[in-house]
Amino acid sequence: MIVTYNWLKEFVDFDYSPQELCDRLTMVGLEVDALEEIGGGLESVIVAKLESVEKHPEADRLTVCQVNNGSEIVQVVCGATNHLAGDLVALAQPGSVLPGEFKIKKSKIRGQVSLGMLCSEKELGIAEEAAGIIILPEGLTLGLPVFEALKLKDYQIEIGLTPNRPDCLSIVGVAREVAAMCGKPLHLPDPQIEDQGQEITQKASVTIEDAELCPRYAARMITGVKIGPSPDWIVRRLEAVGMRSINNVVDVTNYVMMELGHPLHAFDYRLLEEGRIVVKRAHQGEKFISLDDQEHNLSSEDLMICDGKRPVAMAGVMGGQNSEVQDDTETILLEAAYFKPTAIRRTSKRHGMHTESSHRFERGADIDMVPVALDRAASLIAELGQGALVAGVIDNYPQQLKTPVLSIDAQNVEKLLGIPVACDQVEQLLDSIGLNVSAGDSPSRLQVTVPSFRPDLEREVDLIEEVARLYGYEHIPTTMPVGTVDAPQAPLRQQLQKQLRDTMVAKGFSEAMNYSFISTEALAKLGLPADDQRLEQVKLLNPLTEDQSVMRTSLVPSLLDSVARNLAYRSNDLRLFELRPVFLPLAGAETCQEDLRLCGVLCGRQQPEGWSQSATAVDFYDLKGIAEELFCRLQIDRVDYNAERSEPYLHPGKSCTLLCQDRVLGTIGEVHPQVLAEFDIDQPVFLLDIDVEVLIELAGKHPGFTPLSRFPDVIRDSALLLDEEISAAEVMRIITRSKVKYMEDAVLFDLYTGKGIPDGKKSLAVRIRYRDLEKTLTEEEVSKAHGRLIKSLCQQLGAEIR
Amino acid sequence: MMKERLQKLQDEALAALQQAADLNALQDVRVQYLGKKGALTDVMKGMRDLSPEERPAIGQLVNTLKDQIEAVFAERQTLLNQAAIDARLASEKIDVTLPGRGTFAGSKHPVTLVTEEIVDIFSRLGFVVEEGPEIEQDFYNFEALNIPKDHPARDMQDTFYISDDLVLRTHTSPVQIRTMLKNKPPVRVIAPGTVYRRDSDITHSPMFHQIEGFLVDEKVTFGDLKGILTHFLNQFFGKGQDVRFRPSFFPFTEPSAEVDIACVICGGKGCRVCSQTGWLEILGCGMIDPAVFESVEYDAGSCSGFAFGMGLERIAMLKYGVNDLRLFFENDLRFLRQF
Repeated sequence: MIVTYNWLKEFVDFDYSPQELCDRLTMVGLEVDALEEIGGGLESVIVAKLESVEKHPEADRLTVCQVNNGSEIVQVVCGATNHLAGDLVALAQPGSVLPGEFKIKKSKIRGQVSLGMLCSEKELGIAEEAAGIIILPEGLTLGLPVFEALKLKDYQIEIGLTPNRPDCLSIVGVAREVAAMCGKPLHLPDPQIEDQGQEITQKASVTIEDAELCPRYAARMITGVKIGPSPDWIVRRLEAVGMRSINNVVDVTNYVMMELGHPLHAFDYRLLEEGRIVVKRAHQGEKFISLDDQEHNLSSEDLMICDGKRPVAMAGVMGGQNSEVQDDTETILLEAAYFKPTAIRRTSKRHGMHTESSHRFERGADIDMVPVALDRAASLIAELGQGALVAGVIDNYPQQLKTPVLSIDAQNVEKLLGIPVACDQVEQLLDSIGLNVSAGDSPSRLQVTVPSFRPDLEREVDLIEEVARLYGYEHIPTTMPVGTVDAPQAPLRQQLQKQLRDTMVAKGFSEAMNYSFISTEALAKLGLPADDQRLEQVKLLNPLTEDQSVMRTSLVPSLLDSVARNLAYRSNDLRLFELRPVFLPLAGAETCQEDLRLCGVLCGRQQPEGWSQSATAVDFYDLKGIAEELFCRLQIDRVDYNAERSEPYLHPGKSCTLLCQDRVLGTIGEVHPQVLAEFDIDQPVFLLDIDVEVLIELAGKHPGFTPLSRFPDVIRDSALLLDEEISAAEVMRIITRSKVKYMEDAVLFDLYTGKGIPDGKKSLAVRIRYRDLEKTLTEEEVSKAHGRLIKSLCQQLGAEIR
Repeated sequence: MMKERLQKLQDEALAALQQAADLNALQDVRVQYLGKKGALTDVMKGMRDLSPEERPAIGQLVNTLKDQIEAVFAERQTLLNQAAIDARLASEKIDVTLPGRGTFAGSKHPVTLVTEEIVDIFSRLGFVVEEGPEIEQDFYNFEALNIPKDHPARDMQDTFYISDDLVLRTHTSPVQIRTMLKNKPPVRVIAPGTVYRRDSDITHSPMFHQIEGFLVDEKVTFGDLKGILTHFLNQFFGKGQDVRFRPSFFPFTEPSAEVDIACVICGGKGCRVCSQTGWLEILGCGMIDPAVFESVEYDAGSCSGFAFGMGLERIAMLKYGVNDLRLFFENDLRFLRQF
């Protein structure tokens, strides 16, 4: 909503400077988004008189003008054609900066000196289009800034209104707030029409068929109207608040709407069949062309203004092409009505038509304003269009809407705001914004009659808010809440999420965040089988783009996209992770399932580039080490790295599924080269994808302390010659299950194939540490234990000792 | 005769010790004079030939000389030892300005960092973290929050729909409803989360993050709301942070307020970031509307409370001076590693 400083002044005589006014409006809840001086910075554009206008000797289309600027005669070259000697014009002197950063300089145009520019309305920013330069009215003082001379100096104030304040969608509404803050009276316009009889009823009638959606409909008629341009003052005012001038009749309806907040509509009476207005719902499927030439397919819920035969306006939204005011219109039927907010909102939404009118009606117009706005606009139209008012008014208001009467208790004000406010202060504050306050049924209570322009005030708490607002939030003292504080530890789920993030960061990973919605094709790149559950995605009904149209069931595609983007920027050593939910549709259920997943990608070098660091590339085991670390931190042991199962988008020989207690924890592995190609990635990428929900379920407690031995350890290394197919996990399983005495730990420390090892075999070296809690072990004790271990390895795996 | 010989020996030995250039040479000198076949041992052996009268005096001379040689030896040994160590260390000198052998430094997303910091501040005030689903039912996202269908307040949040009844939550406020339906007052909750709005341009991302907080107890006032939030803003942005509360509107709070802080870029003088106002809008808040209490079956007569919410990307942008919202979701390592 845009208001201007001077327009407000017409209704309340405040003393604030423009900036101060804006600050105060913001602090009462009418947030000022922008304050702009109209003609600001244009002080050097002055009133000047054309002493002579001659053709440019070198250019037919230009004129050379001698211009009197009030103190001297200067020469200016001008390209317009609408100026004559003797005219008053707007001279932008050298140094002026016109809207759009257009700097005026002294120049030479085809050999003729030009000391400035004669401006058009467009160049001065006061009109959108201009045919030639502006010719000013006679009698202005030469040398005076044009904006001052035309009394155009004003300030545009743009207010970001919250939807609960339809009353402030007008100059008068904002003025009411200003009056309250400065304690001065609000001067409302009071159009008085002295009617002789009810001639109008002989020419027109109004029938409301749906009084629920249209509780009030009033009309007046003006005849003999001459359609033409509006006077400057209306044009300027409308432009100052962001509206375009159309013609004198339409402009009046808009002017009154801006001034009083009530939308109006003017019909060409001769186009109304039977001179009737019938307010009723449309027939389903009925067609209607609005005055912006759009055709609409009506619904039986759309409220329409009809004449004797057809719809002529979409109630409260926009008029129809079939009845709009035209250049030769002579008789106007002027509508002022009140419509039910939700009905207007639905129609406006349904047809995608958001207009100044619908904006006001759907937020709640002022039903009592109907006759006032009607009379104000009717008399203005008659005046500006040189027409005559037809005597009488039609005001169809079958059932008077009830005026709500609320009660407010000063004690409740104190209870909610924490400030002791006396009853009479509450009364004074509410009275200042035009509420009717009287004594209530107890000393601390007041009775408040809510005027029709404040439909947002429905409950006591609404009134308390008004008290707080007018009292000033800044005057409410700052306190700390008293009460019980029972602050339990963060829930396990929270703790584990933090732990996972901390671990990934400690492992050198940076946290990524991708959009939850992806394109339908994104998953196709992974080559999932047709029956994969992840291909069932939750779809958005109204996505912004196709690329963001389904909720992701896997974090993998987005993260691979992130890899590709980073590689394109030549960040080659990547460690990225994402810890976010995936969204799975639940068959037949109202909601979806949201499962937290952790996805990590790894590529490039093992160590950052450096003068003494190896340039070795990461491989599967770097990735696996990270998975192991995660499980270790969460006290999840006995994870089975099952190579039999994997994902189709992973390298079949370098990937596995992580299982624990028959639950799938996730997968790790190198990304399949064909999938990488789909994502335009040209280097190996290793990927970890973990179901955090399962992780949270399986996360264990710390197993407790193991006592330390004070005695020395004994180490035995053995190299086992094994069949190649035997996995390291099998070896380790036998070692840990052997329960050999004194064994403290076991490490696989070498893997070797090649020279000296027969084909189909490999050498795996284990280092076993023996130690006892109670004593120093003897050579014999260790040898016996180790011998037993080797024996079982040989027996169970067919291993040989090298 | 013996005396002269000893004198000569002394001169020679001490000179030799002084001249020994390294520890080996020094050791050789010691052996040469004090060893089994050393010169001084020879003298000792010659003692036999002396008269008993001469022996004590010469014996004493020999011992003195022996002690003297040992002392000089020790002194030289320390000196040469030190020199040897010094020489070795000197030869081992490295260029300490060469970079250390680093590992990859990971980083949390800036949104995670500010979330953790805010959660931490509120945890110390007794607030507990709660979460809610991102795909939310109309009831929790709108209806129960006093935003009925066909209400203009729905325009404040352009919504992504999954079905007539399911939306991508447009704010973290539904967590209020879920929590209050689950727990009776007193409650103190802080709820960070991902939210979605159908809006995408330079200053709007269709997915972003919010943090919601609310407190319900017996006698909570608007003054308390001001107190808690002022405390928070001073903790987060630094002590003495200028804060202002001004009236606003949210369907689920009444009275409602927007909270501004003095612009952290210009200090309140007015700049491009604060649109010359000197203030930055940082969060929305208010006293929980009785209609909300009604939908969670709290008795508005016996309890009151406040709620607040803020956009985390905006907070992160202000805290770290990030000038482009889109960077938060591009996952450029050069951006992520800065946090």
